Amino acid sequence: MSPARLFQGGLVVVAAALAVYPFFGTGYGVRALLQLFMWIALAGSWNLISGLTGYVSFGHVAFFGAGAYTAAILITNAGWSWPLACAAAGVAACGLALLIGYPCLRLKGPYFAIAMLGLNEVLRALVSYFEGLTGGGSGLSLPTLQASVPIYYVMGLCAAAVTALTYVIITSRFGLRLMTIREDEVAAEAMGIDTARHKLYAFLLSAVGPGIVGGLAARDQGYIEPISVFPLATTITMIVMVLFGGKGTVWGPVLGAVILFVSQEVVWARFPYVHQLLFGAIIVAVVLLMPRGVLGILQIKYRLPRTV
Amino acid sequence: MNVVITPAMIAQVVISGLLSGTLYAMVALGLALIFGVMRVINIAHGPMLMLGAYVTFFLYSAFGVNPYLTLPASMAVLFVLGMLLERTLVFRVVDAPELSSLLLTFGISIALVNLAQLAFTSDLRAVEFLTGSFVIGPVAVSKPRIVAFAFAAIITAAAFLFLRNTKLGKAIRATSQSRDVAMVCGINVGRIHLITFGFAAALAAAGGTLIAVIVAIQPEMGQIWTFKSFLVIVLGGAGNYPGALVGGMLLGLIEQLASLFLTTQLSEAVAYVLLVLVLLIRPTGILGGRST
Repeated sequence: MSPARLFQGGLVVVAAALAVYPFFGTGYGVRALLQLFMWIALAGSWNLISGLTGYVSFGHVAFFGAGAYTAAILITNAGWSWPLACAAAGVAACGLALLIGYPCLRLKGPYFAIAMLGLNEVLRALVSYFEGLTGGGSGLSLPTLQASVPIYYVMGLCAAAVTALTYVIITSRFGLRLMTIREDEVAAEAMGIDTARHKLYAFLLSAVGPGIVGGLAARDQGYIEPISVFPLATTITMIVMVLFGGKGTVWGPVLGAVILFVSQEVVWARFPYVHQLLFGAIIVAVVLLMPRGVLGILQIKYRLPRTV
Repeated sequence: MNVVITPAMIAQVVISGLLSGTLYAMVALGLALIFGVMRVINIAHGPMLMLGAYVTFFLYSAFGVNPYLTLPASMAVLFVLGMLLERTLVFRVVDAPELSSLLLTFGISIALVNLAQLAFTSDLRAVEFLTGSFVIGPVAVSKPRIVAFAFAAIITAAAFLFLRNTKLGKAIRATSQSRDVAMVCGINVGRIHLITFGFAAALAAAGGTLIAVIVAIQPEMGQIWTFKSFLVIVLGGAGNYPGALVGGMLLGLIEQLASLFLTTQLSEAVAYVLLVLVLLIRPTGILGGRST
């Protein structure tokens, strides 16, 4: 059996195991895997814009938070069912991305990165201001509903969909154009690529996942407040996962999410105070020492194809 | 919303705006220098301001030093720290793609904030030194803001004189105009990068010292300053140092104006909307192009 077949077979086995897990797994296990799926979807989404085009988004949690609030408001105030509300959350996040991406992605350079750095704070301020709709600082409680298992499946589908989307993009002409922008934007323009539009498309795609996942997380937790859905720490975790796993690859974000999530649960939960310090150090170390991440190193060592 | 605008209110807005604008200009000048010379946006610029504020706080609370006299100390400490960071980490990404330098300084930034939380705790600290305000007719301005303005104006003016007249200042400007030509002229570009980074960190520290007397000090106070400094650069035109002055004043005025009509929460969003609008309408800044 060729390695590729072996890998595909392994994937099928893992997917099947995850699909039947809720029937005999513990409640804790389901919750932990649900969280892991969430991180895979978030990291994969960040990879779509920052890993592929090289435009760093420092505020991707904004889409997560926007999605969480959209879904929560639709569920509590408009009485929508949660799957529909979460789909709307994805659309809302996409709309927000359009609003920010259109002015900022037409330009080269760090404008986009800094705009994303501020977006989070602004949304938090807005959410606190429109108290009537969002409950302000005291948060928003969703009607009680025991839906952990369905949310587990939808979250898993989201993680799979983001990863599949990354694969489709990386193996397509669209993906090649994005990577050309990353390597040399002037050259990309000279070859006739409409760089602004491509960057914007990648950005819109990267916002949908966090939006839906944010909605799911809101439904799952049953209660949201500005600090719980707009933490800078979430953006940092997404970035660290992708960088560590290998940016611009299909499986890098998955690998990074699994490794960091597991080590977070097992080891770092005991040292919450140095969490950010460690993440900062990982970012610095990865940028300087292994810019291609773990998967990048494996790719070179074992001559894996680019599409891994 | 019904707001009656009186001439006194306008005067208040203009004066408060210019006062805080000078502070913005000084801090943003540091960010602009690093960007001009090294083509690096230093995300850790705001956290350096935070460290400067802590230097002042500790000198004040431990030894009772007049906070304004701690200016040289906080600037010196951050000058050294800035050079250390440049020499150990940042110089490695000067020629790397933007992604690397942004991520690297972002990593430094979150590490610095977390270190500050560990070392100084997240408690809010205050330097209660000057209180009260000067009242001139209908306009009232708090004393620490006036003093901060005065120091910021002096430091900014000194920085511009230094850039314009000294040999080192000229070397810094030359490097930001063209690194290759500067190198050919015999300028040690690596050394200029080192000094510029330290100098920029010192400017941030000065900002930290001055606002330590005005607002509460805590480890996360800095990040917003990275954003605002960048906004100032964008308003003034990137790579254009005098633009930082114009941008700083503009940001100060607009923020004060917004606070007339909006709640505190919403006026936080004003700076952001402003950034997006400027990028949409006039991305080269108010003064335009690149010139030193």
